[in-house]
Amino acid sequence: MPILEVTNVKKTYTARIGSAKVEALKNVTFSAEKGEYIAIMGESGSGKTTLLNILAALDKPTGGSVLLDGTDLSKVKERDAAAFRRDNLGFVFQDFNLLDTFTVRDNILLPLVLTGMSYRDMEKKLLPAAEKLGIAALLDKYPYEISGGQKQRTAAARAMITEPKMLLADEPTGALDSKASDELLSVFSRLNAEGQTILMVTHSVKAASHANRVLFIKDGEVFHQIYRGGCSNEELYKKISDALTLMASGGNA
Amino acid sequence: MTQMLLYPKLAVNGIKKNRRTYLPYILTCSGMIMMYYIVSFLTLSSFVGEMKGGDYMQLILYFGCGVMVVFSAIFLFYTNSFLIRRRKTEFGLYNILGMDKRNISRILFWETLIIYAVSMAAGISCGILFSKLAELALTRMLGGTASYVFNVELKSIVHALVYYAVIFLLIMINSLRQIHLANPIELMHSESSGEKPPKANYFLAIIGAVLLGIAYYMAVVIKQPVSAIFVFFISVIMVIAATYLLFIAGSVAVCRALQKNKGYYYKTNHFISVSRMAYRMKRNGAGLASICILSTMVLVTLSSTICLYIGEEDMLRQRYPRNIVIDTYTTDEKLTSLTHGAVEKVLDEYGETPENVLQYSYLDISGGFEEDNVILDPDRIDELSNSLDPDIRQLFIVTVDDYNRLMNKNETLSDGEVIVYPTKGDYGYDTITLDEYGTFTVKARAEDFVDNGVDSMQMVPSLFIFVKDEAVVKELYELQLGIYGSAHSYMHDYYGFDLSCDEDRQTDIGNALFDEISKIKEEYPDDWTGVSIDCAAKDRTEFYAMYGGLFFLGILLGAVFIAAAVLIMYYKQVSEGFEDKSRYEILSKVGMTKKEIRQSINSQVLTVFFAPLIASGVHMAFAFGIIARMLSLFGLTDAGLFAIVTLCCFGAFGAMYTAVYFITSRSYFRIVSGKE
Repeated sequence: MPILEVTNVKKTYTARIGSAKVEALKNVTFSAEKGEYIAIMGESGSGKTTLLNILAALDKPTGGSVLLDGTDLSKVKERDAAAFRRDNLGFVFQDFNLLDTFTVRDNILLPLVLTGMSYRDMEKKLLPAAEKLGIAALLDKYPYEISGGQKQRTAAARAMITEPKMLLADEPTGALDSKASDELLSVFSRLNAEGQTILMVTHSVKAASHANRVLFIKDGEVFHQIYRGGCSNEELYKKISDALTLMASGGNA
Repeated sequence: MTQMLLYPKLAVNGIKKNRRTYLPYILTCSGMIMMYYIVSFLTLSSFVGEMKGGDYMQLILYFGCGVMVVFSAIFLFYTNSFLIRRRKTEFGLYNILGMDKRNISRILFWETLIIYAVSMAAGISCGILFSKLAELALTRMLGGTASYVFNVELKSIVHALVYYAVIFLLIMINSLRQIHLANPIELMHSESSGEKPPKANYFLAIIGAVLLGIAYYMAVVIKQPVSAIFVFFISVIMVIAATYLLFIAGSVAVCRALQKNKGYYYKTNHFISVSRMAYRMKRNGAGLASICILSTMVLVTLSSTICLYIGEEDMLRQRYPRNIVIDTYTTDEKLTSLTHGAVEKVLDEYGETPENVLQYSYLDISGGFEEDNVILDPDRIDELSNSLDPDIRQLFIVTVDDYNRLMNKNETLSDGEVIVYPTKGDYGYDTITLDEYGTFTVKARAEDFVDNGVDSMQMVPSLFIFVKDEAVVKELYELQLGIYGSAHSYMHDYYGFDLSCDEDRQTDIGNALFDEISKIKEEYPDDWTGVSIDCAAKDRTEFYAMYGGLFFLGILLGAVFIAAAVLIMYYKQVSEGFEDKSRYEILSKVGMTKKEIRQSINSQVLTVFFAPLIASGVHMAFAFGIIARMLSLFGLTDAGLFAIVTLCCFGAFGAMYTAVYFITSRSYFRIVSGKE
């Protein structure tokens, strides 16, 4: 059974002025198996952020259904949504979203504190997670004292510490230089190799080339998808580039 | 042409766009100007001046004008810094769009000018409107007749225009200085400039705690009213310093200590609040300390002036135990019979009879107390008065016969025995040793004695000593003659009575008595040792003017201080709301429920806002004793009354503070929850 099932998801916004309707998502259907590493690509305005918000239970679809591990997200009540996110999903954002008033340690522990775990149990989880992401030495630093890459790895540690069913990443390399991007992507690959399901929205071909499967979204629909098969990262990179060129030139894949 | 209009236009736009912060600022400026006009109007108004006691009142109000100007300057400076912090981003943008700092200065100039003009117009017109109300209140207080003429005091308007122009100019220069110092990138990001996590400065925190401890200790320990004034000022300064240190450094230290306690810190309720608080306190510590000090000032001013106002009739009666008091500086038959005769003559002329007659004689000497040892030598008293809390008292020596007669008692004393009655303090010893005389045994402590004007007028406490008989008084009189030489004290023949006629007639009688007794001085210069005549009716207006004036000023300044505290709170809520918005967005993404967010906001906002109120309550509690002792200098000895008034003031102030909190915190929630 797939861990994520997205069926005929639609999302229409009503413009603020007038009653013109904007269709952000027309009809999106796909599913993800446990342990998959999926990249979602698309131009600005293609609807990929809307999709991610719906997957994250931050937004509700106008039609269709999203099942995460058997739970229908549209049935999760507004006030339970936050707790649901906390228990089932991990997030990594483009602009890190770390709290500047917290040390790296406290930022990572934040979701655990929210679940009301005792400090002793938290501590047991903290060090392994920090070591996995190579930030064990930075635990007592504040966000303003560390580099962008380190910030993003802190955010990843925060996302991973609850052992979420799925890791959602929104342009995780968007604010990083190429070296930091490479480091983060190899961390993601390693996490995936250990069995973590990852779903990443990205512009970057480089980032997408680390995934097992790449979905292309255009005008609110899944337009195309590429499986890694036996390809290396470089070969997948080439395939993605070709597909993007084709999409941009208006051709049909 | 368009170029010339550009700057005023940009200035108007800037104010409009930031009306959330500018409107309260303009309102405050208007309020301050209004208050200044009212106080100044009353100070200069010839109508008030012509009222009975009005000149006295104006003297007190004149002092209020100065306080208003100084306070306005400090306070407007402070609030303006909030505005400038928010405007810097906009100025940074103008700068990047190609305006140089000169252009920006021109915008700022126009802005200042517009705000000045608007708040001047609003402030003066409201001031003129409400000045009539204030005048009526004042007339009522002084017991005058109200006039229905509407007056405008031109001089007050000119003063307000000039003083506030200077204040606004200074504020503008300060803003310009800040903008000139910063480069555009800094200006753009000044609002969001990442700040270092606050370090706990334990050193400052400890200094603050120690200062506060010493100040509290001094306030509690001091016993003598005269030294109370001096100590009060010192401890006020210490408390202010300590409040700032504790709010700025101490609060961070506490937060850091809490963070070290893992079991406490890593709980949903504490985690976010404590870490945010450390930041908030570092930056807002000064603001919160200001709120705390303002609140304490409001409480002290209001409670003491209200108390003086309520208690003024009692104080008057203490100061003037009878409507008319003739104090003859001798017990020699010749002069006393002359003065008593004069009284009789005058009262006969007016057809009045003395009622409630109070007559006794006493000897008053000042003495320095070293425990139960009384020093009479003036040089040694001087020496003693240089110590921190000198115990110098006026001794009133009265015979036990007079005491028995006046108080309806039946006490007898043997040789060397006395009964004592201390005022404005205690006398806790069983003996009194008078320098060069000998030791008395205190047989008993009297619970009460008739009031004496000299005692209530003086700052130093008194000790009434009731001795066995006339002979002892005589011996002590001779003794002090030897010690003090030409500065010796006199025996007093104290003769007071009430009159049933109205106050004007009493005043006339007082004046007639004065003339009559002056004649005695001319006729018998050799026997003349001095006579003092107190006529309560004559002094009553002055008395009322003084306490009425203080009360009036207390209310006005109290209102201004409260307005200031409200505004600081409002700015705090708004500016923090904008800052915290993004933080709460992150928290909600990470999985914090709305309810948890609301709880977390509530707990920290509550702590931050009610800390100053609680701190000022504690300040008040410790200051209570020392203020009560200072009030006793005004003749107000009813500590119970003061306690009740203080509690009422605290209750009323607390209720208002809470109301303001709820109103302003609503804007905070609106901003944080993204409804704006």
